[in-house]
Amino acid sequence: MLRFYRFKQWFLLLLVSVVFLAGCTSATPSQTNGENDQSSGKGNGGEGGTVVIAAPIEPDTMDMHLTAWYDDANTRIYDFLLARNETGKIIPGLAESYSVSDDGKAWTFKLRKDVKFHSGAPLTAESVKLSVDRCLKICPDKSMLGPIEKVEVPEPSTVKITLTEKYAPFLTIAADFLAVLDPARVDELGDKFGNNPSATGPLVFREKMRGASLTYKLNKAYRWSPENAENKDAPYLDEVVFRFIKDDDTKMLEFKKGTIQIFQQVPTNYVKELESIPGVEISKTLEAGMNYLGFNNQHPFFQDVRVRQAIAMTVDRTPIVQYAMSGLAEPIHGPLPTTIPGYSQKVEEMAKEMYKRDITKSKQLLADAGWMDTNGDGILEKNGEPFSTELMIEGGTEKQKIAVILQSQLKEVGIDVKITTVTDWLTFRDRMAKGTHEMFLNEYGWLDPDILHLIFGKGNSTKLYFETDELEALLIKGRQEIDEDRRMKAYEEVGEYLVKASPWVPLYNRETVTAYRDIEGFKSSASTGVIFQDIKLKKK
Amino acid sequence: MCHLQKYVLKRFLSLFGTLFGVSVLVFLIVHMIPGDPARYIVGKNASEEAVKAMRAQLGLDQPLITQYFDYLGNLVRGDLGTSLFTGIPVWEEIVSRFPITFQLAVYGVVLGSAIGILLGVIAAVKQNTLLDRLVNTLSTISISAPDFWVILFVIWLFAYQFGWFPISGYDGFYSLVLPSLTIGLFSIGFIAKMTRSSMLDVIKQDYMRTAEAKGVATWARVFAHGLQNAVIPIITLIGLQFGGLLAGAVITETVFALPGIGYFAIEAVIKRDIPTVQGVVLFVALLYTVVNLVTDIVYSFFDPRVRYE
Repeated sequence: MLRFYRFKQWFLLLLVSVVFLAGCTSATPSQTNGENDQSSGKGNGGEGGTVVIAAPIEPDTMDMHLTAWYDDANTRIYDFLLARNETGKIIPGLAESYSVSDDGKAWTFKLRKDVKFHSGAPLTAESVKLSVDRCLKICPDKSMLGPIEKVEVPEPSTVKITLTEKYAPFLTIAADFLAVLDPARVDELGDKFGNNPSATGPLVFREKMRGASLTYKLNKAYRWSPENAENKDAPYLDEVVFRFIKDDDTKMLEFKKGTIQIFQQVPTNYVKELESIPGVEISKTLEAGMNYLGFNNQHPFFQDVRVRQAIAMTVDRTPIVQYAMSGLAEPIHGPLPTTIPGYSQKVEEMAKEMYKRDITKSKQLLADAGWMDTNGDGILEKNGEPFSTELMIEGGTEKQKIAVILQSQLKEVGIDVKITTVTDWLTFRDRMAKGTHEMFLNEYGWLDPDILHLIFGKGNSTKLYFETDELEALLIKGRQEIDEDRRMKAYEEVGEYLVKASPWVPLYNRETVTAYRDIEGFKSSASTGVIFQDIKLKKK
Repeated sequence: MCHLQKYVLKRFLSLFGTLFGVSVLVFLIVHMIPGDPARYIVGKNASEEAVKAMRAQLGLDQPLITQYFDYLGNLVRGDLGTSLFTGIPVWEEIVSRFPITFQLAVYGVVLGSAIGILLGVIAAVKQNTLLDRLVNTLSTISISAPDFWVILFVIWLFAYQFGWFPISGYDGFYSLVLPSLTIGLFSIGFIAKMTRSSMLDVIKQDYMRTAEAKGVATWARVFAHGLQNAVIPIITLIGLQFGGLLAGAVITETVFALPGIGYFAIEAVIKRDIPTVQGVVLFVALLYTVVNLVTDIVYSFFDPRVRYE
């Protein structure tokens, strides 16, 4: 009896603990924004409602200056000095105009006068200066802002940013990174700004459940929307919730059930099923980036340009795009895709022609480089060493399928490929930094052709290990040319150089698929993200 | 001081040794695996210079021994550190996520134990009958069924088709019913099998025959005399399962999109969030040790022959 009594005590204790814990957590978000924003719903903003989005990744922080991940879930709190339209063209943002000095070093931005922070305080040039200075102080990669020398405020609504050298990508930085933070909130929270951010963007932070969701109110005072939005009045929706569901099948069930209205980055294997569901609409946008087969150009196998060219003309992109990517990609031959400024049709055609699939020519090039099958085993040899190389990949099924296709294609010319799969990006990147890799599948992404300097520039090429004086000169020319037409011409030269040198084999430009339902006015692109102020719930 | 108190004290003292060992091991492991968190923080397009600067800022360029003693010093002061990525103290992250994992573990184990023990007892009493074979088959299915598919099936049926529960996410007790059910389903098989085997040993004992001869009702005999004597290995198994679940039911948390500790730890490993990995592992080691201790103490409630010396 006594024992049963004791057991009952333990059981009750356990029960009480569970109930207590349940009570502790049932409605306790990690962080909430206690303030009432100063916005007011007027005009056509009366429709209201909440849209739930299945977002691909939970951002590490909502502080634009500290995050390593930028997407709709954490950047739409902010507006930038400049903006982009859906084709990637720079358009006015918080700055209604800008000018560049003759020496290309001083950038002057004239700010709009009607912009307010979520707290209600007006946007000033001083707040822009504080934001830039803060980033220069605390951003993990300060170089992402370019070579800034100083920031001045000549007038209350004019900001002048002086660079130490001519730097054309600064336009991209102004459009993609120069977010303006509410200085009062920065003062209040310091490096904890990300816990309760305030800026000028269309989304106002409301609540965060770590590991689960981020909830935003729509900024009903938002009247300074860039040209990319049709709705110039208050946003229609009341609330947007980003949910971070890791499992794709769960996301799919939630979406089909109608508890999620926007499903971002739909896996390729679900697209057909979603397309067949009545009421579901699909948006496909090409990414501002490119996937490629990379060589470690320092490795003895790939130092000879003829070997690299031979591999380039062995690769057939059709099965990669059709089979591995389920048709949700565009094949690429040149170094820049159509979605990044600097793309040149001429360079693309040149690469396509130069590396048209030709097994005979490929074998000849390899033979010229000294690679021949001397023992009849189907694998090439040079000085007794077989052409047996590693293809390192990181990621899931798509990359594995591509690797197998490439393995089979390269076997046709006598190159033996062994596939190594690493489970995470850091291990993958670590091997590249050590230079112990041989071939690899990788991608890059940025909305400026200067990305090529980050890949091939002197001291930067720690994946492909391909740096030459000539290429550096061409890249610097592109980086320093402020005139847009002349700059694009400069990247055409870079493109031609890279096509001939073939330090990589460009493969494809992926299409990002977004599925949505029960809403109208949905628009999204690689350069604009989702335009929230145009979205409204469909009337049922 | 009685034997039990001395025993508990001794076990608590040995806990510090265990935690110290764990701290050394986890520190070495997270620093030895390839992958530099600095690279993750500065982003994919950052230069090597930026990576180096970030390593210096994080103190990762210091000798390993210096880093360990810094970490140990903070640990002694009760500071588990701050996440390299979110800037949130690791302890706060654990506190916000652990209650979900804890509830899931408790509900799952209670459900699994209740059904598992009942089935095990039935199988033992009805040994070599159709019922016994049925329980054996169900247990084997419970043990061998792939977690992922069972969870998806449960979601599809009860949440998607019938709409009785939410598909995913955490919104109080109601949202934990399906996840707990799946965890319970996976525990049933092990517990039923262990109960059956343990009960079969007990049923053959003389005191069971005596009870039968004295006319004690079958089910009273089985539960009051039989199960009480067979319960020690079952408690051990339940304790181990519970301890394991406190480290997070990763697949269940992932598929049900529950912000528990399991997926949080996995994500920290992927990103090489060193303070988070170290903090979570230490916390889980502490819990596991405490659960084992509690399991050992619980033995004496069921079996007075157990002595703590």
